[in-house]
Amino acid sequence: MKTIEWGFLIVNYLFLGGLSAGLFFVSALATFFYRIDEPSPYTRIARLGAFLAPWPVMIGCLLLIFDLGHWYRFYKLFLHLRLVSPMSIGSWLLVLFNLVALVNCYAWLTENQRSALFAKLPGALQFLGNLNYDLDHWRRRIAIVGLPISVGVGIYTGVLLGAVQSRPFWNTNLVAQLFLFSALSTGCAALILGLAGSKRTAQELRLLYGLDICFMVLEFFIVLPYLIHGELSVQAVQDSLKLILGGPFTILFWVLFMGLGLLTPLVIELRELVPVMVSNREFHYNRFVAAAAAVLILGGGFLLRYVFVFAGQMSAMQ
Amino acid sequence: MDRRRFLKFSAGGAAGAAIGASLAYVKPFSHSPEKEAERVEVPTTCEMCVNKCSVIAVVENGVIHKLNPNPENPKSRGMLCARGNAGLQQVYDPARLKRPLLRVGERGEGKWKPVSWDEAFDFAAQKLSAVKAKYGPQGTLWSSTESFQEIFFKNLALSFGSPNIMRHATLCLSSVNLAYSLTFGTVPAFDLANSKYVIISGANRMESFITPDTMDLIDSTMERKARLIYLDPRFTVTASKADEWYPIRPGSDTAFILGMLNVIVSEGRYDKEFVTSYTLGFDKLAEHVKPFTPEWAAEETEISAKDIVRIAREFSDAAPRAVYYAGRRSSWYRDDTQMRRAQAILNAIVGNWDREGGLVPNGKIALGELAVFPWDDPVAPRVDEMEKNFPLAAKGDGAYLKLRENVIAGTPYPVKAWMIHKQDPLNALPDQARTLEMLQQMDFVGVTDIQMSDIAWYADVLFPESTYLERTDPVEVLNGIRPVVVYRQAVIKPVHDTKTTLEIVQGLAKRLGLSQYFDYTIEKWIDAELKELPLEAPLEHLKRHGVYVAPDFPKYGTTLTPDHRFITKSGKIELFSERMQENGYDPLPVYHPVLQPPAGEYRLLVGRKAYFTHANSNNNPWLNAFDHGDGLWLHTESARSLGVETGDAVEISSAVGRVQLKARVTEGIRPDCVFMLHGFGKRSKWQRLASVGASDAQLLETAWEKVSGNSALHETFVSLRKV
Amino acid sequence: MATRPKRYAMVVDSKKCLNCKACVVACRAENSVPLDYSRPWMNEETRGVWPRLMASSHPEQCHQCAHPACVRVCPTGASYHRPDGIVVVNQDDCVGCRYCMIACPYDARFFRQDKGVVEKCDFCVQRLGRGQVPACVETCPSKVRVFGDLNDPGSKLSELLSTREYRLKKPEAGTGPQIYYLI
Repeated sequence: MKTIEWGFLIVNYLFLGGLSAGLFFVSALATFFYRIDEPSPYTRIARLGAFLAPWPVMIGCLLLIFDLGHWYRFYKLFLHLRLVSPMSIGSWLLVLFNLVALVNCYAWLTENQRSALFAKLPGALQFLGNLNYDLDHWRRRIAIVGLPISVGVGIYTGVLLGAVQSRPFWNTNLVAQLFLFSALSTGCAALILGLAGSKRTAQELRLLYGLDICFMVLEFFIVLPYLIHGELSVQAVQDSLKLILGGPFTILFWVLFMGLGLLTPLVIELRELVPVMVSNREFHYNRFVAAAAAVLILGGGFLLRYVFVFAGQMSAMQ
Repeated sequence: MDRRRFLKFSAGGAAGAAIGASLAYVKPFSHSPEKEAERVEVPTTCEMCVNKCSVIAVVENGVIHKLNPNPENPKSRGMLCARGNAGLQQVYDPARLKRPLLRVGERGEGKWKPVSWDEAFDFAAQKLSAVKAKYGPQGTLWSSTESFQEIFFKNLALSFGSPNIMRHATLCLSSVNLAYSLTFGTVPAFDLANSKYVIISGANRMESFITPDTMDLIDSTMERKARLIYLDPRFTVTASKADEWYPIRPGSDTAFILGMLNVIVSEGRYDKEFVTSYTLGFDKLAEHVKPFTPEWAAEETEISAKDIVRIAREFSDAAPRAVYYAGRRSSWYRDDTQMRRAQAILNAIVGNWDREGGLVPNGKIALGELAVFPWDDPVAPRVDEMEKNFPLAAKGDGAYLKLRENVIAGTPYPVKAWMIHKQDPLNALPDQARTLEMLQQMDFVGVTDIQMSDIAWYADVLFPESTYLERTDPVEVLNGIRPVVVYRQAVIKPVHDTKTTLEIVQGLAKRLGLSQYFDYTIEKWIDAELKELPLEAPLEHLKRHGVYVAPDFPKYGTTLTPDHRFITKSGKIELFSERMQENGYDPLPVYHPVLQPPAGEYRLLVGRKAYFTHANSNNNPWLNAFDHGDGLWLHTESARSLGVETGDAVEISSAVGRVQLKARVTEGIRPDCVFMLHGFGKRSKWQRLASVGASDAQLLETAWEKVSGNSALHETFVSLRKV
Repeated sequence: MATRPKRYAMVVDSKKCLNCKACVVACRAENSVPLDYSRPWMNEETRGVWPRLMASSHPEQCHQCAHPACVRVCPTGASYHRPDGIVVVNQDDCVGCRYCMIACPYDARFFRQDKGVVEKCDFCVQRLGRGQVPACVETCPSKVRVFGDLNDPGSKLSELLSTREYRLKKPEAGTGPQIYYLI
């Protein structure tokens, strides 16, 4: 039956899952560079990333569960681990990631924040206060454990699509990388957005800009071969690419995703960062420019998944 | 940690463990394992169309789940078409007639009052008696379409004293029957399975009607490389499968055949021995066909002379395994008996009669008959004056369109009551407005049916019948090359308060003082029928197998003996028909070109898809899903000149009506024709699905075939307009 | 006596197909498939300009692939491959994620909104248990489909595959479809 089965719920999940993966990744990366007693831009990045990381993916998981034909049967996914099924592996990865992200979030709470949190518990659950452990010294270990898991979450969504031979739009090993770097970039963007509002975050933003530029450049240089090789590939792939080369998704892909969602924020960030690096001046940032770039990246990340999920499902319908 | 905390912890832990343990036993939203369904298989006979294929009904827990083909029937041969499979929907149709209904309000308003059977019978009997008292029994008309129980309805009419039995033959293939009977004395079967060369005029066997002939044709053409030549103004499925398809000019088939006859006769390609031994009138035929050269035929048919010559030669070369297939639908034109006569003559002179791969007289199986108290034959003559108007046609079948004209005119006498069984004249007859006229001048209209057809919608009283899956019927013989007896037994008890035709007839007979003619059960009737079968326990056999296959068939050549007398006036196969001459018709086929549509108008072609049976299964949801009957086929050029594209609304007007359909622009039809499916645009509000589309009956003008009185359905021209 | 295990497949002789829809209705009845869905479907093609025209049709349904992508991607194992070659969906285990639908190169599966699970042709396994062939095979007036055991050299199926040319649909998908279309 020729229907679009995976729709907005799945697109949103892919975006949110990638966002959480990116947030955790950046946070974990920053964890390797911070000193516990030396305030540095890494600290703020790591802390904000840790606080934000669990929530998008948890919402995404709820969306996934409700997308199922029988939502209450989701537990069956955890009665099996089928290594050949990207969805099976992905489900387990998601569970692990949720746990690690929550633990990581908790680990980055300050003593005061922890006490305040436990104080908020209702009387019946007060005994949970016994779990008020200080995980400060565990942060790096948590980061080491969580880093590959977050990369897994970021990459498996691409594997999920890429493993399907019957959808020529997806059937390339570049999709996994594309989704990964897009996810990492959206993580950076979320952090930029979160920090842009506050004062005295220039150092953090400088770091984030640098990291984000790397991710976006990598993303761009994955999209390029995806298109070039696709056009030089078999007829089925060429036909599927027509969906973004003249077909219904052309504007969405080229103007909104590539133009506004990838190249524009890349140029913005380069313009903000490169002159500073070249001339070794002090980095001043424009808060609105930062926020704009971040929003564009987030929108672009969403649109990338939207185009891929919908166009991909249409690409087998000849 | 202190004791309180510890206790709290352990209590919580224990509770958690207990809950967790019990959850392991609870399967959320699981269902109890299904009991093994109680499953019964009952052989019976399909009633979705006239083929009467053998089916095996699978009943699970008292509900009919599936109808499977019964491989024991050599005619239906283990197949069941889309309609046959959908038959069980008839039983469970929520819009079925479930109890007797009496009309309140005006005819056609659709306001009904459920009544008891007694009330319904009383009402109908009283009305019929009133008409009988005022106009005589001939003032009642009894029309029906063939069914296994039709005999009871017909006998009620006859015992009531009315000669006006109106069967469906003149809505069906009566011109075929008449033409072949006049030539061969009987209507043969076509041994398509063994033919090597088949020519078909318009009988769209691979699309409009799936029959054993369809299967034979597919076997012979696709497995054994027989050639199929197909003539049709439309590119149908049969056209797509034929070896050669010609979009013949409508109405010129007679010219085509005459052209072939000319070639075969002038080149001496006929079977000389056969012609001498078994036929009469060859010399006259030879003289008659001299002017009908292939060049002349090419002018008329738009088929090249070269092809006509070649086909004639190939046909005669392949004989006796060559047939010109008769088809079985209603006439197209007023002259069709002559066209079928030409076919019969062509078949005759190549000597394919009673030979393998040719025309084979039907094998028969004799059935017994229940001795019933005899009634006096009706005294009055038929209202359609068959002797006068159609002297050669089968009198007992009547001529529907002529009858309608006479009844409306009130000549030769008034007819004021109309009982209808398993028929929808409002859709089956062309010119619906005229049928409504006939209906409205009736004092009484009574209908027996399973669903609220259009005629039921306009009736005064409705007698709901049990569907074929809920009834046991008289057995029937399917004559043919492999004759069989088929049995229909009730698969389940009637789901609603319905009765069989016999029970309805008995209910009416009681109140009309005719009980003595119907005082038997269906079982007694069947027993008497089965007495003649050469079986130990015929009823048990039929109950178990659903079909009895006569041994020793097929038989070829049984009539090809020197002393065989054909059932014709001369005792021979009549190429030249004296009987036709005596009655003022051309004794040999003369070609009269039909009128072609003037510029800007189109010939309206009507036809079928094999998922629908005329007008009676279009409301079946499983079948209606395939076509809503709301399309008008028209050629790309015609569409362009009208400025329409597929899906656009088009208004179609003829001299008698106007309807609207959606354009279906196609390359597959002659530019001077348009086509629509039969049986849609219902007036009955209970037939919601089939109310979509339009009724061809509203467009078709009254026209009947001269010799047989058969409805002629392609004589109507329509004009189109983009809406 | 060791008998070879059964391996079911189907041969389709397209030229015999009349597009009469008998198979669609038979399946609907046999497998209680609601009107919104269909397990088998018809492929139709018409070409040409009057009067040089062609039209053809042929049925298609789940190809019961030898290397089914749908089975591979199923996260719960609800879709599984029977030893006799038929791919079935255990409707109790299916969570309705529809990954299999996306993985199928033939779009042979559909999602039952009313049941919340995925469904497709399963060669009428309930009929096979009774020694009958699938409903679509049995009912066809022109016997377009031939059903049989690949491991039985005496079957009509094996005879056709040995003596006739055939093609597969989308063999490049690599799933090893088991419906063979005679040329």
